[in-house]
Amino acid sequence: MPLINRRIGLLFAIFLFLLIGAVGRAAWLGGVKADELGSRAASQQEAELVVPARRGTISDRQGNELAVSEDAITVFANPFLIADPEGAAAQLAPHLGLTAPDVQAKLTEPGRGFVYVARRLPPDRGSAVEKLEIEGIETLVEARRVYPQGELAGQLLGSVGVDGFGLAGIEQSQEDLLHGSEGRQSVVKDALGKAISIDEHEPAVAGQDIALTIDSAIQARTEKVLDEIGEKYSPTGATALVMNPANGEVLAMANWPAVDPEAFGEASEYDRQNRTVAASYEPGSTFKAITVAGALEESLVKPATLFDLPPSILVADREIGESHDRGTISLSVADILAQSSNVGAVKIGLLLGAERFDAWVREFGFGDGTGIDVPGEASGIMLDTKDYSGSTMGNLPLGQGLAVTQVQLASAYGAIANGGLLATPHVIAGSPPEFRRVVSGQTAKRVSKMLEGVLAAGGTASEASIDGYRIAGKTGTAEKPDGYGGYSDSAYVASFVGFAPARKPELLVAIAVDEPQGSYYGGVVAAPAFEKIVEFALPYLQIPPE
Amino acid sequence: MQASRFGDSIREFHDDGPGPGNVLARLDPLLLLATLGLVAASLYVIAGATADDVPGNPYYFVMRQGVYIAVGILLMLVISRFDYSRLRELRMGIYAALIGLIVLVLAIGTAARGSRRWIEFPFFTFQPSEFGKVLLILALSAFIVDRTRKVSARETTSRIMLLALLPAGLVVIQPDLGTGLVYVTVAVALLFVAGTKWTHFAALAGLAVVATALALVVAPKVGVEVLKPYQVDRLTSFLNPSYNPQGEGYQVSQSITAIGAGQKTGRGADSATQTKLDFLPEHHTDFVFSVVGEEFGFMGAAIILSLYALMIWRCLRILTTAKNLYGALIAGGIVAMLMFQIFVNVGMTIGIMPVTGVTLPLMSYGGASVITTFLALGLLQSIHAQARATAAAKGREAFV
Repeated sequence: MPLINRRIGLLFAIFLFLLIGAVGRAAWLGGVKADELGSRAASQQEAELVVPARRGTISDRQGNELAVSEDAITVFANPFLIADPEGAAAQLAPHLGLTAPDVQAKLTEPGRGFVYVARRLPPDRGSAVEKLEIEGIETLVEARRVYPQGELAGQLLGSVGVDGFGLAGIEQSQEDLLHGSEGRQSVVKDALGKAISIDEHEPAVAGQDIALTIDSAIQARTEKVLDEIGEKYSPTGATALVMNPANGEVLAMANWPAVDPEAFGEASEYDRQNRTVAASYEPGSTFKAITVAGALEESLVKPATLFDLPPSILVADREIGESHDRGTISLSVADILAQSSNVGAVKIGLLLGAERFDAWVREFGFGDGTGIDVPGEASGIMLDTKDYSGSTMGNLPLGQGLAVTQVQLASAYGAIANGGLLATPHVIAGSPPEFRRVVSGQTAKRVSKMLEGVLAAGGTASEASIDGYRIAGKTGTAEKPDGYGGYSDSAYVASFVGFAPARKPELLVAIAVDEPQGSYYGGVVAAPAFEKIVEFALPYLQIPPE
Repeated sequence: MQASRFGDSIREFHDDGPGPGNVLARLDPLLLLATLGLVAASLYVIAGATADDVPGNPYYFVMRQGVYIAVGILLMLVISRFDYSRLRELRMGIYAALIGLIVLVLAIGTAARGSRRWIEFPFFTFQPSEFGKVLLILALSAFIVDRTRKVSARETTSRIMLLALLPAGLVVIQPDLGTGLVYVTVAVALLFVAGTKWTHFAALAGLAVVATALALVVAPKVGVEVLKPYQVDRLTSFLNPSYNPQGEGYQVSQSITAIGAGQKTGRGADSATQTKLDFLPEHHTDFVFSVVGEEFGFMGAAIILSLYALMIWRCLRILTTAKNLYGALIAGGIVAMLMFQIFVNVGMTIGIMPVTGVTLPLMSYGGASVITTFLALGLLQSIHAQARATAAAKGREAFV
């Protein structure tokens, strides 16, 4: 059967051809492509996982938690394993707070075996997703930063980004302590994503807890008071700082409008800023106490030294008048402060002279950061004396022509309150107080006593008083620079700095209200806020009346 | 005449010498060697691949495969001692049984994963379409022998093709496209061995192209679903495996990864992660060759392919020595069946053939596949034994 034999030969040839093809292809895969395919196998089965460290808790001085990390569920997907992306998206979306098309887009990302669908869901929503048991949808436990007190001290605390790193505030500045160190694991997974074995290379080390000097109750009260100011005067912003001048501990650090640390990114850049340390402004009359303290320390004046004050005074080409017109009068240094006389402050400043004035101002800490352990501190703006013009000394003694931060002003007043010893302000509890002598105890006492006069009859804040306590302080009503080299006649910063009890101060409060509407006097806008905060804090801190 | 020859064989068996060794003596030793090598490999590979598949019972699959193989070997030995030529008389019955079983399975069969291929019995399931391959070979070969004189007639070609397309169509409806294609391939191979004219094959090829175009392109447009969507996916995904990694291309891509990861000498059963971690689907059935590739590397794959090469060579050899045309045709059909299954299955695992669900003879887990293959090998051994007996009777040395 030659035909059959030929055909069998042909069949055998086909067979050999196919065999060579198969062997060749197998050799190609197992030889030439082996490394690439081997690593492909390894990469789809083994995952190097970073095990996040539990982030440290931030609490206030009483142990109340301000920022804590709790377990959260992150949902991820292996798009290769999802048979019905549309159906899965429809099931998932309501639990994730996302729209179904958004979810579907993630589930169908081409060429990827791992996609985050939603990160850091609260545990109850995460377990609802797990219950759906959709093949290809997996969950893992991550930590989620929550702020139990809501917006309280939002700008001070800052925020943590989605990857667990602090982005602002204490969360950022104390990142090294709070973060801890991540562990590393390699996980072998099967085709359904189930972990078969976990090999821990490095255990995670939890971050350290941090206690702040902040007192939540005082912070809350302070924020409430700023809220009321916000309501009443619709300012651009308002800040307040409450501290203990005896040791520099900051009890409250508040910025209005408030921000929610959990939605930090949604706030404007202005709102996110901790302006108590980061914003510089012209202090105005609150600065007169510094001018007076310098002159006292130089023995140029005494509290009772009388000055004859004309309605206005000409310094070089600049005429300085009072905020309320008056005739020529004679005022003591104490009265100059109490009534906040511009002409009187200029006369005292001229008595000091540029060099000595500059030296004292810098001695009180202006022109340089206070060293407070809060990120983003500005140093204010101080001219160099060689850059002074003829009229500069007509401005500076009144607190115009220079810029300070609220924390600088508060710590300078702290030195006056604390018998001349300036305590470095701080918010992290447990650090020992640092002191620096600025003026003599006598000078400090004299200035303090004069500042009591501001709140007494005839002072600029005579309405403010607290039953049973002597209080001291100074108002400020500063015109804001108009940006053209002059001053605005409609934009003001109303402020007040004061302390109590005046003779043995344990509480110092600084308030600044940026561009209040309706009224702009420090005595009207800011002094009542001081009163409300102190009224609460003194009994709260069980500070006895004198 | 047939009966007496059958009787002669039995006597011949006794005359050749007593002792159990003679049970094997009449078999083709190289074909037997390839057969036993492959089933040993199958047991070894399945044991390693499925150890974790059934919790608490690492031997679940390997024990069952062992039983199927034992039954298969027994059937092979029994069949090899009968004269296959007798079956020619039963051709109508065999063909009727083939159609009847396939229709029966459509009527009362058990559905699994969207297809209805099995008939459930108390202790086992029966898959007639697999068994049908052998029935079809026996019946069609007999029909061709009937028309030996008119083998180049167009009527012969069309009649044989129609006789094959009827069961093939019924099997595709189950749906089991792979087995349907085996039926068609067997019919074409039988015509080829019988000597059908090239022009007829050209015409058949033309018809196949038109039919494929109708099924894949035209029918869906007019709303008739000839192939299920997953079948179309399977057939087209190998052309572009990365197109849809979530679908059929995923299996092939994982299979290629497994074979490549096995490198030259393999990763061993324990570190064959593609298999162990279930990335490789169907690793004891359709993709068993990929397991070989991963666990034993190119070396393992080459050994398995060599065993198949040995087997096919022996089959072709038996084809040429068959004592009659019926035997030659049966051998040709079996060779075609084995070749088709081997290369479609292996081709699928290495990414050069579509995914059709065709099993790898003797290697893939499954009673129907294993036993059917042994039935076919039993027939081959019978053809071999008969050829030797005839040659001996004619006083010639049978060439082995």
